[in-house]
Amino acid sequence: MIKKNILERVLMKAMSTGADFAEIFVEHTRSNSLYFINSRIEEISDSTISGAGIRAFLGCRCVSASTTDLSESGLVTCAERVADVISQSRAEVSISLTRAIPTNVHPIKIVPDTVAKSRKVDLLKAGCFAASEKSPEIFQVSGSLSDVDHEILVANSDGLLIGDRSIRTRMGISAIGDRGGNRQSGFYGPGAKMGLEFFDTVDPKSVGEEAARIALVKLGARPCPAGKMTVAIENGFGGVIFHEACGHSLEATSVAKNTSQMAGKLGMKIASEKVTAVDDGTIPGAWGSINIDDEGTPSRRNVLIENGILKSYMIDKLNGRRMGMAPTGNSRRQSYAYDPTSRMTNTFIENGNDKNEDIIASIEYGLLANRMGGGSVNPINGTFNFSVEEGYIVRNGKICEPVLGASLIGKGSEILMNIDMVGQNLFCGQGMCGSSSGSIPTNVGQPLIRVSSITVGGTAEE
Amino acid sequence: MTDYKSIIKAVENAASENGLEDYELYLTTSESIGCETFRDELSEFSSSKGTSVYFRCIKNGKLGYATTQKTDDEEISLLVARGAENALINEKDERAIIYDGKGEYRQVPEVQFTLPSAAKLASIAMDMRNTLYNSDKNIADGTSAGTGAYLSSTFIYNSKGLTLENEVGNANAYMYAVVSDENGESPESAFKGVYKDIDSFDQQEVADYVINKAKRKFGAGNVKTGKYNIIFSRECMAEILSTYRSVFYADSAQKGFSKLGKSLVGTKIASDIVTLTDTPFKEDNPLQISFDGEGYPTMEKNVIENGILKTMLYNLTTAEKDGVESTGNASRGGSGIGTRVYSFFINPGRMNDEELIKFAENGIFVTDMKGFHAGADTVSGDFSIESEGFVIENGVLTRPVRSFTVAGNFFDLLLNIKEISSELEMRSPGFTQIASPAVLIENMSVAGE
Repeated sequence: MIKKNILERVLMKAMSTGADFAEIFVEHTRSNSLYFINSRIEEISDSTISGAGIRAFLGCRCVSASTTDLSESGLVTCAERVADVISQSRAEVSISLTRAIPTNVHPIKIVPDTVAKSRKVDLLKAGCFAASEKSPEIFQVSGSLSDVDHEILVANSDGLLIGDRSIRTRMGISAIGDRGGNRQSGFYGPGAKMGLEFFDTVDPKSVGEEAARIALVKLGARPCPAGKMTVAIENGFGGVIFHEACGHSLEATSVAKNTSQMAGKLGMKIASEKVTAVDDGTIPGAWGSINIDDEGTPSRRNVLIENGILKSYMIDKLNGRRMGMAPTGNSRRQSYAYDPTSRMTNTFIENGNDKNEDIIASIEYGLLANRMGGGSVNPINGTFNFSVEEGYIVRNGKICEPVLGASLIGKGSEILMNIDMVGQNLFCGQGMCGSSSGSIPTNVGQPLIRVSSITVGGTAEE
Repeated sequence: MTDYKSIIKAVENAASENGLEDYELYLTTSESIGCETFRDELSEFSSSKGTSVYFRCIKNGKLGYATTQKTDDEEISLLVARGAENALINEKDERAIIYDGKGEYRQVPEVQFTLPSAAKLASIAMDMRNTLYNSDKNIADGTSAGTGAYLSSTFIYNSKGLTLENEVGNANAYMYAVVSDENGESPESAFKGVYKDIDSFDQQEVADYVINKAKRKFGAGNVKTGKYNIIFSRECMAEILSTYRSVFYADSAQKGFSKLGKSLVGTKIASDIVTLTDTPFKEDNPLQISFDGEGYPTMEKNVIENGILKTMLYNLTTAEKDGVESTGNASRGGSGIGTRVYSFFINPGRMNDEELIKFAENGIFVTDMKGFHAGADTVSGDFSIESEGFVIENGVLTRPVRSFTVAGNFFDLLLNIKEISSELEMRSPGFTQIASPAVLIENMSVAGE
């Protein structure tokens, strides 16, 4: 994207006032989205994101600047803005970059930008019409088909020069059902780090049908009772519970600043011994996977919690300096315009020893959260919340009527201890995770688990 | 700043090559700087500078859109070709409109803003940091102060002869306190933004505010599951309004995503004391704009007046569909024209916060709510949100409480607003700022112990 000797000059400029490390991140991203609503394609978005972010460190201080001007003079001016703020002693630095090639574990078969848009229109319509056809009660369906082709280049004053290209494809369909004025929506949005060959693994019709199924279940649901109860949480996007209740608190972003409940707890028991949790950015084709992180560090499998014991944090370079620990390949940013920080990739609870049927059978009275919505956490005190998209009351070990509007809240440290059964159907769901370095694709996952006691927010009295 | 002329020329050339009926350029340029502290140093400093080009065109009677951040001639010609290609797969059959600018535009105060220097922002941030750390001995890691400033401009040019430009800028600061208890444990936190006079505001007052706000949460307990009178603080009610703003968009209604719509205009949808205003001309807001995302003139209006729905919010296309005039609420983004609000707020009522608490007598004063993006459904209006606050007993705030949810339905909530506080505080300046005084609602569902 940018010539090697220009990158070297820019890095030397950024280092010229005494910084002890400098880095440039250059990005060229093409995104396409088609939006379906009212039984037709109504919007098409088509955008190019192009720019560079330059960072320099001086000890644990970080100065950064970004620009959309990728000419040599634009980049040098951007580096000057960084150097001006560092503003220590004049320093003569010499940097020589050596190009490295990352191992690509995610080969793309069909690059979305090379395919006629009419073919994407057909795929999206197949999914959306499948939702409408599921029932006459489905009165509105909206859907999107998005593909992102993301090329990056990272060079730094340690001599690293590495580039990568990743392609992601996702279809999201939302169906709205109406029964006598009661309106409920269902959403399903699978995606992968794949090209259009993704639709050889996921039938677009199944996406629409699933969204419609959830909306129809919700139409027949009653308000969820409120209070503390035993809750079973299904696999797939159910893994958002670990993502919110624990994952964010293991990011160096908050650990390095000592603002996480999990700071200083390596080697300690922080979860029930049933829990082994992993962040793994190397899974071929998975939505949250990366070959290298946005600092050029190769991605890897990090065991975060093993049988309840905290084994590892997720660490980026800057926070690694603050913690005196090495980066773990988790530094990510939405784009060049955001400073990178430690983030999750594909994060999940491993399969356990409990049979799924035993988990349901063990619940005398409680809730089955079959599909989760999103959630959020305050890492300072560990309180989190997340919403249940599709839930059922469980009575005497049997799944009974569906309920609406439930949310689960609690404290991360408590819920991890309360996971007392872990099933065997590990599966991941796709999400966009928002944090200080922007919105990035992440997978959450788990098998069916049981939480012995958690507060369920709802409106009904029971 | 940006060389608009060369971009316009490149677009004009490409437009004739692609046989476009009409086209429009919407350019934004922005420059920002910001810094924050950690422990005793300025830990992070960032700056950005960028241009985005939003293009749209009409080909064969359909609108096509494309966006880029590169402005060289080759990219601009690709941008136009992509816009034309995208028009061909657009199946929307409403009339494609690019506005001719014949309406009347209200004058907005001209902004004379220059970005402060990096050194100045850094020095204010460090002063604020020192004020925070000197204000309490139990101040803990995570405490930070920050400053920032931005300058941004919007430029519209289209083949119908419309040319409009707007430039705004502002500087802001914040204090974020994390405070431990006497044993150095159980940290609590609070945040406050400062949006004007960042070099002369009373730092001590803001530091005391955030530190006390954090400390008041010490020893937060639980509440029992049940029905309570709830006062949503002004911050919480603003969050609720922000989450549900799209139910007032004609676009949402026309797509079936909102229970409201043109047919309900003139009917009662809220308690008689509720008046909800949307205006791009709010006094004290340095970010005012006289045109919307389609270049159409903006205007002030009441969306709800004394409980009655007066209008939905429109852009040109959704207005034509409902047979009304646009309300100047078009937004412009990567995927096209949508709807947005400006200064959007519930008007103040008759008693202040203290009197409101007294009036409620018993219940919960909710000060923090989290997770609206997941716990609120805009189609049904249902929400169930993790909350924190204080118990109200005999008309005064007593103990802090947390880890409970407040659940309800936005449409019911509007109808059930019993009282509105007289204290309205607009939040950070922006083209969009959503605000509300605190409101009292009786008999809401709370899930706790």
